[in-house]
Amino acid sequence: MNSYLESNARERIHGLLDKGTFEEFLPPEMRLVSPHLAQLDAPVSFDDGIVIGQGLLCGTRIFAAAQEGGFMGGAVGEVHGAKLVGLLKRAIAENVAAVILLLDTGGVRLHEANAGLIAVSEVMRAVLDARAAGIPVIGLIGGSNGCFGGMGIVARCTNAIVMSEEGRMAISGPEVIETANGVEEFDSLDRALVWRTTGGKHRYLLGDCQTLIADDTAAFRQAAYDAMQACIETGAELTLTALESEQRLLENRLHEFSTHTEPMDIWHQLGIPNPEIVPMLEAQAFSEYAAQYRLGA
Amino acid sequence: MNMADRAWDTRRSNTAQRLARARSALGAVLAGKLLPAAHINDLLYSVLEPGDRVCLEGNNQKQADFLAKALASLDSTRINGLHMLLSVLALPEHLDVFERGIASQLDFSFSGPQAGRLARLASAGKLNIGAIHTYLELFGRYFIDLTPRVALVVAQSADRNGNLYTGPNTEDTPAIVEATAFKSGIVIAQVNEIVDVLPRVDIPADWVNFVVQSPAPYYIEPLFTRDPAKISELQILMAMMAIKGIYAEYGVQKLNHGIGFNTAAIELLLPTYAESLGLKGKICKYWALNPHPALIPAIEAGFVESIHSFGSELGMEEYIRARSDIFFVGPDGSMRSNRALCQAAGHYACDMFIGSTLQIDLQGNSSTATLGRMSGFGGAPNMGADARGRRHASPAWLKAGQQARDRKSAIPHGRKLVVQIVETFREHMQPAFVETLDAWQLAEQTGMPIPPVMIYGDDVTHILTEEGIANLLLCRSDEEREQAIRGVAGYTPVGRARDRRMVENLRDRGIIQRAEDLGVDKRSATRDLLAAKTMKDLVRASGGLYNPPKSFRNW
Repeated sequence: MNSYLESNARERIHGLLDKGTFEEFLPPEMRLVSPHLAQLDAPVSFDDGIVIGQGLLCGTRIFAAAQEGGFMGGAVGEVHGAKLVGLLKRAIAENVAAVILLLDTGGVRLHEANAGLIAVSEVMRAVLDARAAGIPVIGLIGGSNGCFGGMGIVARCTNAIVMSEEGRMAISGPEVIETANGVEEFDSLDRALVWRTTGGKHRYLLGDCQTLIADDTAAFRQAAYDAMQACIETGAELTLTALESEQRLLENRLHEFSTHTEPMDIWHQLGIPNPEIVPMLEAQAFSEYAAQYRLGA
Repeated sequence: MNMADRAWDTRRSNTAQRLARARSALGAVLAGKLLPAAHINDLLYSVLEPGDRVCLEGNNQKQADFLAKALASLDSTRINGLHMLLSVLALPEHLDVFERGIASQLDFSFSGPQAGRLARLASAGKLNIGAIHTYLELFGRYFIDLTPRVALVVAQSADRNGNLYTGPNTEDTPAIVEATAFKSGIVIAQVNEIVDVLPRVDIPADWVNFVVQSPAPYYIEPLFTRDPAKISELQILMAMMAIKGIYAEYGVQKLNHGIGFNTAAIELLLPTYAESLGLKGKICKYWALNPHPALIPAIEAGFVESIHSFGSELGMEEYIRARSDIFFVGPDGSMRSNRALCQAAGHYACDMFIGSTLQIDLQGNSSTATLGRMSGFGGAPNMGADARGRRHASPAWLKAGQQARDRKSAIPHGRKLVVQIVETFREHMQPAFVETLDAWQLAEQTGMPIPPVMIYGDDVTHILTEEGIANLLLCRSDEEREQAIRGVAGYTPVGRARDRRMVENLRDRGIIQRAEDLGVDKRSATRDLLAAKTMKDLVRASGGLYNPPKSFRNW
């Protein structure tokens, strides 16, 4: 099995780290499960849908967390969030080289209402705390749930995001938009449109993710290592200069593209010669073809 | 009445009257056979008479949706009591005509998405059902006792004389038009476009009375596309057992597949697992099948020699055009399908049908009509029927016949292999194996004279589940047959009620074969065996020629 998309959380995290080095914190036998789901007669999971722990990435000791998209769409509840926050806080306490988040989530677990919302906001704060302490946080997105809702914001709080083209990132998911604003606004069954709008290639071209790779666990491992090394060289802390430059990028995006409804028109405006061939290009060929047109490049 | 006084052309003269009415009502609006869409109701009022038998084209893929809407909008005080002939009840309008009192009698094949509403209308007395037919049975009756008076059909394009080009989705059109036009009926076609020169003529203008360009292209459903990403390891294990235990065992060359993920898994294992068993050229060369995208890797690997199709599949047009050695294409390069011919070909020329079902009973009868879901049969019953009139031999057919005859010195006569491939539990943990089919209860509820059985048990030769293969040909008594079925029914109540010793005895005799008996290693049943794991892999395998519908993409 080498497809990152088809792997589960544990297969991904074991494939990411050096063979045999992953050590899980709060492992399944501890049965840390959501207290809210049982009250609602909803099924719980032995790990509340997230794997956290430490291991070696190409010889460097790091912390990592992997969300299990197969349990409630990788949604964040109280325990799930607390495991993530605890991992980031311990990373600061132990001053590890990096934290890598394998994100596969629809966002907050609505069943847990405010407890889930608080959990997501605590994760955001913990990510920024880790960065302030000089610890790079890297997000990997290539699971079938993508990365949506509050966790989409968490992802954009990290130092770098690595995506496959099958990965998706946004705040509101396609079904949410269609339900709220109608099928004319966004047809969630038009999967090609969904991926053009939220998929890895579009996020790369808009400057939302730094690296686009093929759907391959080994490729994620290499890209995570490269992103970590780059952060160690440039520094992990969020600076005012970086924030201001991000602000300019976003204002520019709004100004340039706010009237477009079709991502391919945006790619065209970015100067990509044949935007219609972009969806079918393999990751490597795409990166070579499109890198020079990418925003923030 | 003296026979000499009888008029022998009443149908023809009545048709002439109807056509004259249409000409006078429409006048200059009519350009030859071409009619503007806005005047469709005027035309229908002119050519229809109460009580007419009307065939409205529509099957599990393409729909004469514009004509269906027009028919359903007629005034029931003027047009009523129609007898509808429908392959498939797919659109709301197919039932609106009954709800609104325009039609009252129904003969059909498949009710798919309208199944629940159909049952409600039937019990409310809004319609009478003649019978639920297979496609071939319904087509057959068009030429015997259910010939349409008026046929409302659909084609891709027409020229200005009224010649029709049906494109790859020819499907039911030839059978409907042939029956109607050659028994003095009236044929009205909706088309997507009117052009000066057609790529090819599928239906000659002489057989068509009126052509109307619909405001929007006709609806078409990609019903046969299975995303390889959704194929499970259990389905892969079953596919391995099918290939080794049935395809290789009988040397099956000529076959038809159902449309489920189980058979898609088999198609995607041909260039990998079957190739590794040395089966290329020995199995699966000739097919009666829609152009399933899951077949692309097997075609590219050189497994497949020929495919004749019931209908087409959205997105396969360019691939088919580029593989004219495999598909039946016209001089223009595009495919022509034909449901009636392909059904007949599959019935008489295939050595094997393999497909899935929702329920199987202890005699091997199966049905997809269950309580709360009456999805119908379409053409599967004919593919899954043993054509007893067949007279040409093939090794697979003869071997099955020999097993069935138990070495009795009867005259050599083969058997078609009919394989049901099912997981012991279907969705929502409903057991696929039952003591009594829901079909009995459905028949009672809807007043049908016989329970709607898809494939009768006496046609079924093998049942394949994740537990193994039951070869019903080798069973010598009803009791053995029942235990063979229980023996592969797993942990369902039917499976748990097996007689352990008898099942072990059947296994010793090779009537039940488990994966390990076939030398199939369960641990190797992983998705890595699939020749394509994603839709994009299928596009890659096709060299970029396959263009999947947008609902199947994640790029």
